[in-house]
Amino acid sequence: MSGGVVTGGWNFVIAAYTVTFSVLFIYGVSIVTRLREERSREKEEANPQ
Amino acid sequence: MLIAALRKELLLQWRSRTQIMAVFVFGATSLLLFSFAVGPNSEALRLYSSGFLWLGLLLSSTLTLAESYAAEMENRALEGLLLLPSDPRALYYGKAIANWLQLSMLGIALVPVMVVLYDAGTTDLLRLFAIILLGAAGLSAPGTMYAAMTSQARAKQTLLPLLLFPLIVPALLASVKATSLVILGDPMRQLTPWISLLAAFDAIYWSLCGLLYSRVVED
Amino acid sequence: MKTGPAAILLAIGAYFGFVVAVAQFHGVSALALGLPSGAIATLAAGCGVAGAIWFLFANDQADSSAPWQVMAGLGVLCLAFGSYYGLFVAPPEQYMGEVQRIMYVHVPTAWNALLAMTLAFACAVIFLFKPDYKWDSRMEGAIEVGVVLAFLLCCQGAIWAKPTWGVWWDWDPRLTTTAVLLFAFLGILALRRFVEDPARRAIWSSVATIIAYVDVPIVYFSVRWWNSLHQQQSNPGTVSKQFWLPLRLNAFGILFLMVAFIMIRAQLATLRRKQEMAPPLPEVAELGEAV
Repeated sequence: MSGGVVTGGWNFVIAAYTVTFSVLFIYGVSIVTRLREERSREKEEANPQ
Repeated sequence: MLIAALRKELLLQWRSRTQIMAVFVFGATSLLLFSFAVGPNSEALRLYSSGFLWLGLLLSSTLTLAESYAAEMENRALEGLLLLPSDPRALYYGKAIANWLQLSMLGIALVPVMVVLYDAGTTDLLRLFAIILLGAAGLSAPGTMYAAMTSQARAKQTLLPLLLFPLIVPALLASVKATSLVILGDPMRQLTPWISLLAAFDAIYWSLCGLLYSRVVED
Repeated sequence: MKTGPAAILLAIGAYFGFVVAVAQFHGVSALALGLPSGAIATLAAGCGVAGAIWFLFANDQADSSAPWQVMAGLGVLCLAFGSYYGLFVAPPEQYMGEVQRIMYVHVPTAWNALLAMTLAFACAVIFLFKPDYKWDSRMEGAIEVGVVLAFLLCCQGAIWAKPTWGVWWDWDPRLTTTAVLLFAFLGILALRRFVEDPARRAIWSSVATIIAYVDVPIVYFSVRWWNSLHQQQSNPGTVSKQFWLPLRLNAFGILFLMVAFIMIRAQLATLRRKQEMAPPLPEVAELGEAV
């Protein structure tokens, strides 16, 4: 380092933002899907035709 | 009460002394294997000897800690013990002290192996043994607690190290650092802060686990 | 608990977090009510976090999915604006250059990861004193979301370390503590998977959460001691005013998203426990008697 300016580095910035938002998105979708499945299963068990 | 619990644990350990012997052989074998990971470089081996000693002890500890509940799990003896008009805290401290003594003995027994294999001797045996006693106490307090949970769960062999290893990072760090300062010399006088860190870790977990243990076994 | 107080707290947080910041950016300082900037930041953060957590506790046991959708929408909105400001509006930093822009997601992730773990710890303590299973559900949600955020934090830390220090991993106290925390809480999630009895699972994981959380400061100080030759990290408290807005927007964005995730996850945990505790179906019970 020695006080120098880091030049460039946009690719690291893009990598960091991509990782952050894709992990958040995938996790969000996965838990919403799991919740939907669990809800529909509960409904099926409550009134099984 | 505590004395009775401790006597029971020590008696159980004495009866399973072949098991303790086997754990010692396991620890010595792992010390031998670590030297293969580094290669025949005696200078590097001496430098890392304290790390290897503590890793060997840590790996062996998962065996002894899990074993300390094996007798209780047979015939649901733990439930019987809890029916006695006794404090679960005495049960915990009895078990933790027994595990501590066993791990300390194991650590002290591994020292000659370390000296022979890595040429990492020291004349300051008193300090070395004190560090081993403190480090073993740091392993046994949370270890006894977690072993109580994992011995009743599925996949117990995996679960105990999974829970215990991240937790004892500070104790491991302090023990390794303090041991290597004793072996390699301490020109900067750094030993005391590391030993106080280890002592603080022990104090926190010996009291916290004692407080919480009754909730784990009674339900 | 009602949602009303949460809305008021969130409004105060938004006022001091964004409105005052934007006004000051344009040279209007009357909106700050004469408060110093430290007090404004504390008010914004305190009211925002308190409002979000109040909202979480007021709505996470409801069957409807509207509350978490509100929170998730707010979170996505804040994150979109914050990232836009952070990536395109804010100027590059004096020494770090463009790499500094990682800070606008990294620091909010760190704050919220710690907040999620603290929430899990608080739920664990409350459950041990007041055994109501809703605290267990909340704890499960907070631990899992905290693990996701801690994982993200390690990834972002590695991406930041490469251009600034030249290595992917640095034994910096914060990064190392996050990694230890990640593995400790992953262990607790594994423990929850391997214990079937809901009562035991709840108590044991509460105890394990308390034990693991107490370890955090000890790990931090021991690693700092161990690796004392490390250079000082850029402290987010000292960043200049231009950096505040994207940082705050993203901090609130991740906070709202985290609350939405914890709500979903807590509902899921409650539903699963209901199924585990439900009496066996009549046919099965009769079969059992016949055997």
